[in-house]
Amino acid sequence: MRALCWNGINDLRVETVGDPGIVNPHDAIVKVTMSTTCGSDLHFIDGYLPTMRQGDIIGHEFMGEVVDVGRDVTKVKKGDRVVVPSFICCGQCWYCQHDLYSLCDNTNPKAELQEPVFGYPTAGIYGYTHAFGGYAGAHAQYVRVPHADTDCFQVPEGLKDEQVIFLSDAAPTGYMGADFCGIQPGQTVAVWGCGGVGLMAQKSAFLLGAERVIGIDRFPERLKLAREKVGAETINYEEVDSVLDVLQELTGGRGPDACIDAVGMEAHGTGVEYAYDRTKQALRLHSDRGEALRQAILACRKGGTLSVLGVYGVMDKFPIGTIMNKGLTVRAAQQHGQKYLPRLLEHVVKGELDPSFLATHRFSLEDAPRGYELFKKKLDGCVRAVFLPN
Amino acid sequence: MADKPQESPASRSRTTRGAVPPADTSPGRGGHDIEVARRPGEREAGAGRETAGRVRQMASAMVGGALLTMGLQSRSLGGAAMALAGGGLIYRGTRGRTLAGRVPGLRIRRAVVSGAPAAKTVLERSITIQKPASELYRLWRVAENLSKVMGHFADVTTTGPDLQHWKVQGPFGRTLEWDSHVVEEHPGEFLRWESAEGAELPNEGWVRFRPAPADWGTVVTLRFRFQPPGGALGDAAMKLLGGVPTTLAHKTLKRFKSLVETGEIATTRHNPAAREGGYAD
Ligand SMILES: NC(=O)c1ccc[n+]([C@@H]2O[C@H](COP(=O)([O-])OP(=O)(O)OC[C@H]3O[C@@H](n4cnc5c(N)ncnc54)[C@H](O)[C@@H]3O)[C@@H](O)[C@H]2O)c1
Ligand SMILES: [Zn+2]
Ligand SMILES: [Zn+2]
Repeated sequence: MRALCWNGINDLRVETVGDPGIVNPHDAIVKVTMSTTCGSDLHFIDGYLPTMRQGDIIGHEFMGEVVDVGRDVTKVKKGDRVVVPSFICCGQCWYCQHDLYSLCDNTNPKAELQEPVFGYPTAGIYGYTHAFGGYAGAHAQYVRVPHADTDCFQVPEGLKDEQVIFLSDAAPTGYMGADFCGIQPGQTVAVWGCGGVGLMAQKSAFLLGAERVIGIDRFPERLKLAREKVGAETINYEEVDSVLDVLQELTGGRGPDACIDAVGMEAHGTGVEYAYDRTKQALRLHSDRGEALRQAILACRKGGTLSVLGVYGVMDKFPIGTIMNKGLTVRAAQQHGQKYLPRLLEHVVKGELDPSFLATHRFSLEDAPRGYELFKKKLDGCVRAVFLPN
Repeated sequence: MADKPQESPASRSRTTRGAVPPADTSPGRGGHDIEVARRPGEREAGAGRETAGRVRQMASAMVGGALLTMGLQSRSLGGAAMALAGGGLIYRGTRGRTLAGRVPGLRIRRAVVSGAPAAKTVLERSITIQKPASELYRLWRVAENLSKVMGHFADVTTTGPDLQHWKVQGPFGRTLEWDSHVVEEHPGEFLRWESAEGAELPNEGWVRFRPAPADWGTVVTLRFRFQPPGGALGDAAMKLLGGVPTTLAHKTLKRFKSLVETGEIATTRHNPAAREGGYAD
């Protein structure tokens, strides 16, 4: 089959690889009808996450049609149209049973790569680093889906692929981030980042009862989507002297009740700390640029919630003292998609959520490298590029 | 070579002729099983070495060397006291005795056995599994499960009631084989086996099942002990230990957990990729 492969830093190519097949009894093979780029991919494309190998198939956000199932699959059938969360989860371990799916105990076959850094391994992901299992990714014609009965979600009739594809990753991530905030009536939620994840977090904050949502970014077209498709107020951080001052003024001097980081380790910035982070990152002395996260910590009201969705490594100059003295609650996770998918599908069916506006660009699989180019450099108003592998 | 109940870890190490008391705490353990005694200058055993190297490399890329080293070195090994106690004591421990009380504040350490004729390598780990102890004990005793769970290390075939044949790919293309038989069993709680007389690399092991708190299920502890004979023959046998990965107990338990919780073991076998002819894990 054809698949998009990582060949080194900033080197993606479409190549011919072997077809996947049923390996374990709970596997399904999904013929991918649509897959999409994610900000998390940029971190290893740019070389900030270790344990990629040349020739790895990338991509973790996808949907498609089931074409084969293993002998112990009982619910999922050939011909089913399904959307699949990016994390591979067994459904049986203590973590899965407690809705903490991305912490699954049983799906990372390369746990030994993660244990020295995390202490205990997380679930595996499709098309990501070997520390996260090294499973073949979904920018391919076919993908093997382990634990199909837990991880495949039937797509209700009448929905288009674009309406559903982001329920694989961006939408449940954003929804989880808003859920972490424990939003009370009258509250204001500020979201750093207006990419797919940030926009979904903003929309979800409204769905979960926020009174006001403020989106922060620097790309006018992304800020426009935040205003027009989500109903958020926006701040272009390049056009104001101080994001902090603006947020204070918007909230009567109190600060937002909750702050969501949907930016991650490659944050862009303008100040002295940004220069420090960038230099250290370039020298591989640390993995993170923490501009957005530090700003969120500073801006949050006393006793508020900091919800971290952006992917980070190990950051120095992390202001734990600010968190501690302000009594912030910190919530963070890789997405627990299997927990949120049923309710997100319901929101889509009822017309309360339509993430299809994220799909600004469509490409065949053969043109996927071009899609990543636009997505990475945020060219031509690209928010997410979607691929049609078949 | 069964462990006899011991009063304390100190008395245990005295059982080895010429042994010195534990010298210092072991350095970074990066995913290795807890190892109790080894000869001075002895290198870490086998396949684990390469993985450990890779792990460290990857981790330092991610974390920055100093931080990582600190983290690994200061990791305290709670509950590891068990590694130093013998099988019989371990079993009796499940009967309401507290091991922790006997060895207050104990941290696991690697004893350097100087010039000892019989160096031991003990690999021990625990894991928590979402199933009752009785069921886990039963599943452990299913021949097919044992050969799947041990599949990363040895070909284990059941050759008779309570009899297993083990075949391990050793270093230098050598194959190591031995028979083992069950020597102690307490259904639902504890099982111990030993290699048969004359094994090239004598070894024994046990597995113990104890209830975990709240809704966590069962704590399963697995221990292997490899005891090469001394002398010139011993040196040759020590080399065979190169075939024993230092992560043996940890990996075996993880495989067992996955198999019994989910009915399969996670793998990237037959994984499509653009290298090695279209598939690579
Ligand atoms: N937790 C999870 O499970 C999960 C899932 C998916 C993605 N992620 C992570 O979420 C993050 C965002 O993903 P995405 O797909 O939306 O990526 P994206 O690259 O499309 O969007 C990131 C946005 O952040 C903006 N940004 C950069 N610096 C900023 C700053 N200082 N202040 C405000 N905005 C800033 C960028 O302009 C961009 O619009 C990434 O780190 C990704 O790895 C996490
Ligand atoms: Zn993602
Ligand atoms: Zn699980």
